[in-house]
Amino acid sequence: MSKDKKEIQIEKQIRRDAIRKNWKLFSQSKLGMIGLYIVLFFLFLSLLQPFLFITGIWNPAIYDPVVGYDEIRDTLLVVECPKEYPTEKYESYADCPGPGEVNIKKLYMAPNLEVGDYYETFIQPAPPSSTHLLGTDSLGRDVFSQIMEGSQVAFVLGLLSATLGVGISTVLGTIAAFFGGRIDAYLMRQSDLILMLPSLPLLFIISAFAELKVWHLAVVLGVLGGLGGSVITIKSQALQVKVKPFVDSARITGGSNWQILFSHVLPNVAPIALLFMVFSVTGAIASESVLSFLGLLNIDMSWGIMIYLSQTDGFIFSGLRFWWLILPAGLAVTLLAGGFYLVGRGLDEVFNPRLRKR
Amino acid sequence: MYEYIIKRTLQMIVVFFIFLVSSYLLFNAIPGNAFSNLLLNPDLPPDAYEKVLATYGLDKPLMERVQLYIVNFFKGDFGYSYKYFPKTPIELIAERLPRTLMLFAVVNICAFYTGFLVGKILAWRRGSKAETWITVTSVFSYTVFYPWFALMMLWVFGYKLGWFPIGKFLYPEKWYEAPWDSDVIFVLMIKFTVIVSILQFISYVLTRGIESLSLRRNIRFGSLMAIFIGSYIFWNTGDALVKKPFAADIAYHMILPVIVVTIVAFAGTALLTRTTMMEVLKEDYILTARAKGISQKRIRDRHAARTALLPVVTSFIFTIVTIIDGSVLTETIFSWPGMGQLILQSVLEEDLPVAMATFSFLGVFALIAHLIADISYSYLDPRIRIKSQG
Repeated sequence: MSKDKKEIQIEKQIRRDAIRKNWKLFSQSKLGMIGLYIVLFFLFLSLLQPFLFITGIWNPAIYDPVVGYDEIRDTLLVVECPKEYPTEKYESYADCPGPGEVNIKKLYMAPNLEVGDYYETFIQPAPPSSTHLLGTDSLGRDVFSQIMEGSQVAFVLGLLSATLGVGISTVLGTIAAFFGGRIDAYLMRQSDLILMLPSLPLLFIISAFAELKVWHLAVVLGVLGGLGGSVITIKSQALQVKVKPFVDSARITGGSNWQILFSHVLPNVAPIALLFMVFSVTGAIASESVLSFLGLLNIDMSWGIMIYLSQTDGFIFSGLRFWWLILPAGLAVTLLAGGFYLVGRGLDEVFNPRLRKR
Repeated sequence: MYEYIIKRTLQMIVVFFIFLVSSYLLFNAIPGNAFSNLLLNPDLPPDAYEKVLATYGLDKPLMERVQLYIVNFFKGDFGYSYKYFPKTPIELIAERLPRTLMLFAVVNICAFYTGFLVGKILAWRRGSKAETWITVTSVFSYTVFYPWFALMMLWVFGYKLGWFPIGKFLYPEKWYEAPWDSDVIFVLMIKFTVIVSILQFISYVLTRGIESLSLRRNIRFGSLMAIFIGSYIFWNTGDALVKKPFAADIAYHMILPVIVVTIVAFAGTALLTRTTMMEVLKEDYILTARAKGISQKRIRDRHAARTALLPVVTSFIFTIVTIIDGSVLTETIFSWPGMGQLILQSVLEEDLPVAMATFSFLGVFALIAHLIADISYSYLDPRIRIKSQG
């Protein structure tokens, strides 16, 4: 069957119109657009870091998220803390070594210093400055660069596992709906089994006997997500498509089973599959962060590991004094997962006409 | 209907056996276990080596071990814990399960009610400013990185303000002279919670048929008051009076975890309720009800919300399994020594018998939850009921 030029042009036009119409519907939902902006912002961040390294704006020896180190010197005034409070200078015990000061009792390493001298030292969790936009962590590594690296990890992991998972579940779901019978029964029992497995403990066990890297985790999450509950949902969607008249007419005109499956059923299941994909990115990002937070992954740097480090170093209970170690990583996980979720909701309104306002 | 239930149960039994076998194979695939340190010791005499293998049945072929595992599973025999040696995994689970159950029974009830109410309001106030703000809040709490959020809450309320204890589930100094261990109190509290929620549910079901709104409200308020008075009397008489201070201690430790998990868990239910309710509101019978001049509140509560409840309840039963997953995190952060902590510790320390027992236990729990979800769905959804009859 050959198509002439005009036919192809018309098809292109139809596709372009459909995309424009769907974009218009999507851009009507405010929250969906906010989500899209958040996702684009993090995508920008993750692409910015390699750019900065290649162009030489950032020196990798200083700004590398894992092995970088910047010595930030600071001169402190040596003072002696009084034994009783309040005094003129200090209100209470907590105020004593004020900003820019150091207690002489802490300086037993340098015995020749006296009160009133200046003591030169490195400050390790350095507060934000113009060279380090979000400060450094306790090992002198740039936090902003770590956030960028974390967003690369999140995007690779989220998109890879979501694509894999949705690919598997779409194919299996449509096959189950289309062929029915034993294949259907088998696939449904299989997804029952996967749904039944307690997912977080299962991931613990897997990470206990395999050194999980980002790739491995993406494959594991993708396969688990792809064989699980989404097969059932996609199957029910495919069942609705299967009984539509155009499938019958395709069969009457002599289409084979596989041809009908790929050219008629799959495209009609695609919207809900896309929706699943966007939502499962949220889950993948959260799982990665949780596993890194518990210290079970073999990843150099990610948002979960940043929070893990700030907790094991004891900064999380030091309050907001070291806010640059606590807030950015947690907010980044929340914002990116929330951004993908909002995009998914916007798409839901596009594909599901009953959710629209009119 | 019955045919459906029987068929489903049979299928679940098959799935359960596959689960047992595959979980055994999974654990079998873990390289290294507590024996390997012992067995790799070059000073170990060969006959002692053989003896250790024979004692634990490790010299048998794989298929035989799988069979043995299944038989022992039904006997409830998981061997001994490597770490807490004289104790068996079943004893450990029995000790820790009440703590987890108590915490998560309360959390589930709170999260479900809040979620359903919020979702109802969200769908009804479509397009208003309140809707946007509530949606933003619930999306935030749905996607917030939970350990981070819990730690921040712990810092604010436990450390900075000092309103709640920072960890553990009791103050040990209050329990020096207690004649019971804490599990007795936990079991009592679980019984109390379950009975109160069942009573509340019964009163809700009984008053559902009352037509006039004000009468229904008054009766519901009255029954709530009756439950309050009843529980007051219960805690001030006899056996429970002696146990009251200890129960109060545990309840005080529970407040912060319950609030934190509820904030995180309600959003899923709320967002799902909103979606299903908005789909329902487009149905023709809502238009009919509007045309008949029925009050807005009545349409919302009786025509729309009740229909929308169905998928929400089912998905909620599914989420119970996820909440147990989440219990690992909650219990680690709030140092609440329950099932979640047990499974995490046993996996990290390669205490295989305990890990296998807890994993299979969670699997059985999930299986039963799914079966209940399926059966209740088939009972509630007339489409499945009719299809299986005809």
